[in-house]
Amino acid sequence: MSNKIDQATGGTMCITVNVHGASVELRAVNEERLVGRYAYGNYMPNGVDRLLRLFQTLHIPATFFVPGREAERHPELIREIHAAGHEIAANGYALEDHSTLGDAQPDVLKKAHDVLASCVGEAPVGWRAPDGLMSSDTLSHLSALGYKYDSSFQDDDFPYLLDADGGVGMVELPQNPTLLDQNLFSIKQPDARVHKNWTEEFNGLNSVGAFICMTLHPRQDYGVGRAPRMKHLESFLRETQYSPRPIKFKTCAEVAALAMKAAA
Amino acid sequence: MNSKWPNDARCMVNITVDFDGLSNETGKKLLPIGKYSHGRYSAKRGIPRFLEMFKRHEVPATFFVPGYDAECFPDSVLAIADAGHEIGAHGYLHEAFDLGDEEPFYLEKTHMILTDLLGKAPVGWRNPGGGKSDVTIKVLRDLGYIYDSSEKAADWPYYQVVRGERLRDFVNLPDNTSSLDDAPFYRDSMTPPSEVAEQWKAEFDCAYSEGGYYDLIVHPRSGFGSGGPARAKALEDVIVYIKSHPGVLMQRQEETARWCLKNPDDWPERTEPWSAK
Repeated sequence: MSNKIDQATGGTMCITVNVHGASVELRAVNEERLVGRYAYGNYMPNGVDRLLRLFQTLHIPATFFVPGREAERHPELIREIHAAGHEIAANGYALEDHSTLGDAQPDVLKKAHDVLASCVGEAPVGWRAPDGLMSSDTLSHLSALGYKYDSSFQDDDFPYLLDADGGVGMVELPQNPTLLDQNLFSIKQPDARVHKNWTEEFNGLNSVGAFICMTLHPRQDYGVGRAPRMKHLESFLRETQYSPRPIKFKTCAEVAALAMKAAA
Repeated sequence: MNSKWPNDARCMVNITVDFDGLSNETGKKLLPIGKYSHGRYSAKRGIPRFLEMFKRHEVPATFFVPGYDAECFPDSVLAIADAGHEIGAHGYLHEAFDLGDEEPFYLEKTHMILTDLLGKAPVGWRNPGGGKSDVTIKVLRDLGYIYDSSEKAADWPYYQVVRGERLRDFVNLPDNTSSLDDAPFYRDSMTPPSEVAEQWKAEFDCAYSEGGYYDLIVHPRSGFGSGGPARAKALEDVIVYIKSHPGVLMQRQEETARWCLKNPDDWPERTEPWSAK
């Protein structure tokens, strides 16, 4: 079973963007305090603009994980992302810690789901846990809401079925912790060193024909939002097309469908 | 240079793998899902990748396995043993914390789990995340262990002096969790694998020039481990580099311990702070 999924999804790459703007800071302070040290999230639309231009230049269909609160604060921006052909997926409502929501969890998931559906006119089929935090029943709630995939685990080189973990009818698209900008920028690695990490990690994954999931944030602090980092990202993404086994960019929903079809 | 090693070898190399599957997070009362799922990578991808690579390069290795992981992934642990590698003990839930009065119970529990699974008792132990107390070695000796692979006091194997008397049945094979361990590089500094490999090669150069002892610690998990293809490749580069040197002896830790026990006067002794026990 898993060999069939490996074959069907190997060599594909998902570029995923966690659209984390002020919703990050709003966990700690009120709207009127989004200034100074709480203003990093306000940068987000700049990063999204740059990413959209880059993806257009490189013909990359990406997947944007959008917290419900960001969709409410920036509905036009989210619709612009959607109109450009990218996938919109769910990422909590207000970046809640889903491992501690308890009985409130189904309502939070439903609320985030409905906000995105009404924003872009299409219900999301994918979900990612804010901060990677989830409870043992998160996947079954997602399955009940009709989700097709989760992308919160960091435990494999290929997608796999989630039935055994409670996500009946769902696929996991595991994230790669090295190809996750926040992990590197938050410990203050210079841009060139981040690029070096990405290249080495990519080359390793590519050498075994893996599925590759990259995670980006359109922020200026721990994301790729600023121009010098965007240049490194562009150069890295171009390099992937000159690798020994050229990879294909796909949205998460497309890869999940490939995996599900291979497992059927 | 007078070698202390078998066949006048110039350097003793032990490649050691800490299994660290679900035990780490479970021991911290975290569900091993989402961002805490790195341990699920071990049995699925990391262990098969290591076994294939060790086979290709004829590396006999030692795998330290927490009891809980042996319960969760018995087939993976059996596959390691079937490939000819040594299985040592590594706590039950990777207790990097103080177990207090329950420590003997959990040491024995893991001992029995591994013994029942493998049909053979482990003889080596490594502390999980530094978790060790002043009674650990006494309990391990009572259970028949012959070596500990946890201490930081020396570069070379050494004997402990207990109540003024040098142990004759138990040896310390020190481990270096600062610069010969993948976890700090990949967790704390996220160092690119090629640079980690250079660091480990430089460490080897020094051990080799001193006729010394080299114990490399890796983990098959994702996250802070070396299980993924890029980091496994860095490990492979280091192994190839080491093997290109004449006079290198690569052994399981049990063999190294038995050699040291056979030639006790070749090795220094140390009085540990807890040696009154």
